Order: sequence, then C-alpha cells, then structure tokens
Amino acid sequence: MDLLNSSIKELTAHLKSGKVSVKEATEAALTRIEKTEPKIKAFIRLHKDEAIKRAEELDKKKEKRGALFGIPIAIKDNMNLKDTETTAGSKILQGYISPYNATVVEKLKNEGAVIIGKTNMDEFAMGSSTENSAFFNTHNPVNTEYVPGGSSGGSAAAVKSNEVIAALGSDTGGSIREPAAFCGVVGLKPTYGRVSRYGLIAFASSLDQIGPFAKNVEDSAIMLNVITGFDNHDETSVQKNKQDFTHLLGKEIKRKKIGIIKEVSNFDIQEEVEDSLQASIDVLKDMGAEVVEISLPHLKYALPTYYIVAPAEASANLSRFDGVRYGLVEEGKNLKETYEKTRTTGFGTEVKRRILIGTFTLSAGYYDAYYLKASRIRRLIEQDFEKAFEKIDALILPTTARTAFKLGEISNPLEMYMNDIFTIPVSLAGLPAISIPYGNDRKGLPIGMQIVGKWFKEDELLQIASALENGGKNEQL
Amino acid sequence: MIDIKKYEKLSALSLNPEEEEKISKDLEDIIGYFGTLKEVDTENVEPYVYTRGAKLFLRKDVKGKSLGKEALTKNRELFKGSFYRVKKIMGE
Repeated sequence: MDLLNSSIKELTAHLKSGKVSVKEATEAALTRIEKTEPKIKAFIRLHKDEAIKRAEELDKKKEKRGALFGIPIAIKDNMNLKDTETTAGSKILQGYISPYNATVVEKLKNEGAVIIGKTNMDEFAMGSSTENSAFFNTHNPVNTEYVPGGSSGGSAAAVKSNEVIAALGSDTGGSIREPAAFCGVVGLKPTYGRVSRYGLIAFASSLDQIGPFAKNVEDSAIMLNVITGFDNHDETSVQKNKQDFTHLLGKEIKRKKIGIIKEVSNFDIQEEVEDSLQASIDVLKDMGAEVVEISLPHLKYALPTYYIVAPAEASANLSRFDGVRYGLVEEGKNLKETYEKTRTTGFGTEVKRRILIGTFTLSAGYYDAYYLKASRIRRLIEQDFEKAFEKIDALILPTTARTAFKLGEISNPLEMYMNDIFTIPVSLAGLPAISIPYGNDRKGLPIGMQIVGKWFKEDELLQIASALENGGKNEQL
Repeated sequence: MIDIKKYEKLSALSLNPEEEEKISKDLEDIIGYFGTLKEVDTENVEPYVYTRGAKLFLRKDVKGKSLGKEALTKNRELFKGSFYRVKKIMGE
C-alpha cells in the first residue's frame, strides 16, 4: 500500500481502522522524501525529529481526533512555525527563528496534522517559477527539466511527488494556482479575508491569501475547513460563521450558470490549453450547466495594475528588514550604512527590482499617475467582476496561458510576469479561485483549469470544480 | 531615464554598477509597460483601498495574552536586557 498516494480521506480511513499508525505514515513520508528530494528539492527544511515525536504523541491519543489527524503536511517557508527557522526563501531572513505560530499553523496542529517541513519558494513570494529562491531551484515532478511554477513551487512539487498528502501555500497574484497548474495538483486561493494572514510574512497585504494544495478538490475543501475563520490578529480577516466546505460536493450542477470571458481570446494561448478549456466547457454543458459569455472590459489592464499595487505594498512591507531585530546583519560604519549593506546583500535581484518599482510609484510626483491610477483601475476590475457575477455563478478560464517552461528559459522580468495574466485579475478583485488539472499538452505537461467563484462562495466553487474534476461521474442520479 | 540612485537611496539599497545597469533597464521597460493604463478613463472612480468584506473592528478593551519580550527579542542579543544595539546615530 502506497500510503503517500492516498488522499486525506483515504489516509484518514487507514489511520482510523488502526491498520496504520501515525508514526508509520510519518515515516513513510520521510522515506519518500529521502528518495525523491535529490531530484525535486521541494523542501528548504525538514522537521524529521519533531514530526516523529509529534506522530508518537498522536498515536497515544485516543479521543478527539481532528480533521487532519496524522496527515503529513508541508508548509511554505513564509509562514511562522514556532521555534524554527522561517526564511521566506530569502538570505535576509537566514537564521531567523519564529517566535510564534502563524494562525494557520496553529489551526493545522489543533486538527492533528503532522508538519513535515517547510517548502521552497521564490524569495518573499515574488516570482512564478521558484527560481528566485535564494537557496536552490525546485524541479517539476512531472518533468524535472521544467519549473514547478511559483511562488509556492515547493509546496506544489511536494504534493505532486507524494512527499506529503497536502500543503499550504500563499497566493498574491497566482502563487498557489500557477504552480498547481504547472505541477498538476489542485490549488485553491480562498476569498481575500477568509484565512488569517497572522504569521504569514507579508508581501502585498491587500492581496496575500493562504490556501491549500491537495490531490483533489475534496481534500482542498477539508483543508479549507481547517484553516478558515476570523482572527483578531488580522484586521482584514472576515467574521463569518464556520461552515463545512464539503457540503455541496457531489451535488449536481444542473442549471448552474458558468461564465466564459470574451476577452480571454485576445491573449496568446497555447493550442492545447485552448482545447482543454473547450473540453471542460463541453463537460460542464453535458452536466446541465449553462455556459454564458460575459465581458471583463478591463481584463488587459490587470497585469500592469498589479505590478504597481503589489510592489508598492511590498516596498513598504519589506522596509522592516534592516538588520536590527532579526535575520542577516551586515555592519556598516553607521546605522544608515548598516541598513543599506544588510538589504543590498540580503535581498535578491527580483526583490530589489520590486522594492525599487514600489518606491518609484509611491514617490512624490508619481503617486497620482501610478499608484492612485492603478488603485482606481483596480476598482474598475472589481466592478467588471461584480457585474459579471450578477448573471453567473462561476467563471472558467485557463489558470495559465501556457504550460510549464524549462528552468532558466525565461530571464526577462516582464516575460516572467506574463505567466500570471489569468490569475492576477482574480487576485485584484479578492475573489476565490481554484486550479484543477485538466489534461496535458503534447510534452506531457499538465494543464490547469481555473474556476472563479463569487466572493465567499467557496462552497459553490468547490462543487463546480469537483463536478468538473470527476467529468460528470460525480453527478447524483 | 529614471534617476535610479534617488530610488536606491529612498529604498536603503546600494546596487553595484552591474546590478544598477540591469535593474535600470528593467525598470524602464516595466514602467513603460504601465503607460497602457493611461488609456483608461478613471474620472470619478473611487480608488480600491479597503478590500471587500473586511470591516475594521475594535477589540474589546481587555488585556490579552502577549508573546512576551523574551520571545520577540530572542533573535538578537540585547543591550542591558532591554535594548537593540545599533551604531550611533548622533553627530552625523
């Protein structure tokens, strides 16, 4: 029995029956990691001893098993895990020991998860290939010559290569959905405000949202059940009643209105990705859904808008890394020089680039023309979606226009940014969206289909995603 | 041309000449790309400032649990147990 090939639900059943102990499941994960890591390199850090110790403790526990009891899980290295190093993929945070657990970590632990380690990422989550990690590249498990996507590339690769059952990532402009698409796993970005950001190292605070990577839609819903909830440590977290996101799974989607976006055809999309979109539309129609064309007139402005808004927020958020309180310090001859030397040595090129873009667009004389203008266009983009959602229940579009590229293939930053053209508009509007694997291209690389739901309607989003995932087999007769 | 030195200074960064040249060029391209936003009429459009659904809230005025000084300062050796040590900033 390949324990790591199981879903959360399957492994839970094995653990419940007593056929497998938590320690055995944990050891199976660690053995698998030992075998695959030399090729994949998904983890920045493994917590072997802690994981085994935790497993032994859980095995003694008889009563009140949580929703993730004994499940091996990985976490992106931008979430604080108490008393361990958290680097956000950056040299500037090397040696930084988290003084507390992120809220999501606390929630995973409360439900019995076994945290196996922290995964590789683009430095401060800035990137689409994980090549901006200050430490090493992660390889796509489907074909190791290719990137796993990013910025949560380590988490996507760890799930795809069965090193863990599920993982957490964070998504600012596509950092969960794009690697999920490239690696062929399910990646969910919840509605902004659904999941607490407390303990997540901030990149762009009005966009950052934590979400799960999983092997199927149902596992994503189980993970979402665990990580959501109001948190008074995050003022943008939203007060909503606790709900079960699995409750609509398997329910028929007859008469659901699914939107396709007119403007998507203006973009240069790989042929197989287009075919895959068409195939998924056909399947939805076969299941009785009504497919409606809608228009998002400001879609093409989303990418430049994002690259003003996100770096502006990043330039402010990253000002805390000055060598004084934690992480790297490079002493200069005075305090100012210490700041400069620390930041210049500690940050990688992409991070510097984005700090400089942000500083520029926020600076006197340019603020109105860039930052304020972008904030107004962001409103128009949100309104486009709002108008569309008056007529539809969900939207479908490819997660990315192209499948994964080779390591080292893209060096121009603007070209790299283009990978997120279909995920960024959704992020700017704060909407929930999921990427599910839907076919492969001719090279055998996975294609991801993105479904976007209404604000805080993750349950309906998951219902439609699950129906599509099962290609109609899920339909209740 | 963007006065890169000015923004380096504002960002507390000092790039080496090679990196400066590369990043300057990238910034020109990226900022040039932002130009397309000029086409959009944003007259009377409210900027997107607060994200949807997020309401600012006030906590009840009761003392909560804090992480404590020890936990929060353990990444640096403190001066006299209470202070971060930095280079002197007076007299410059």
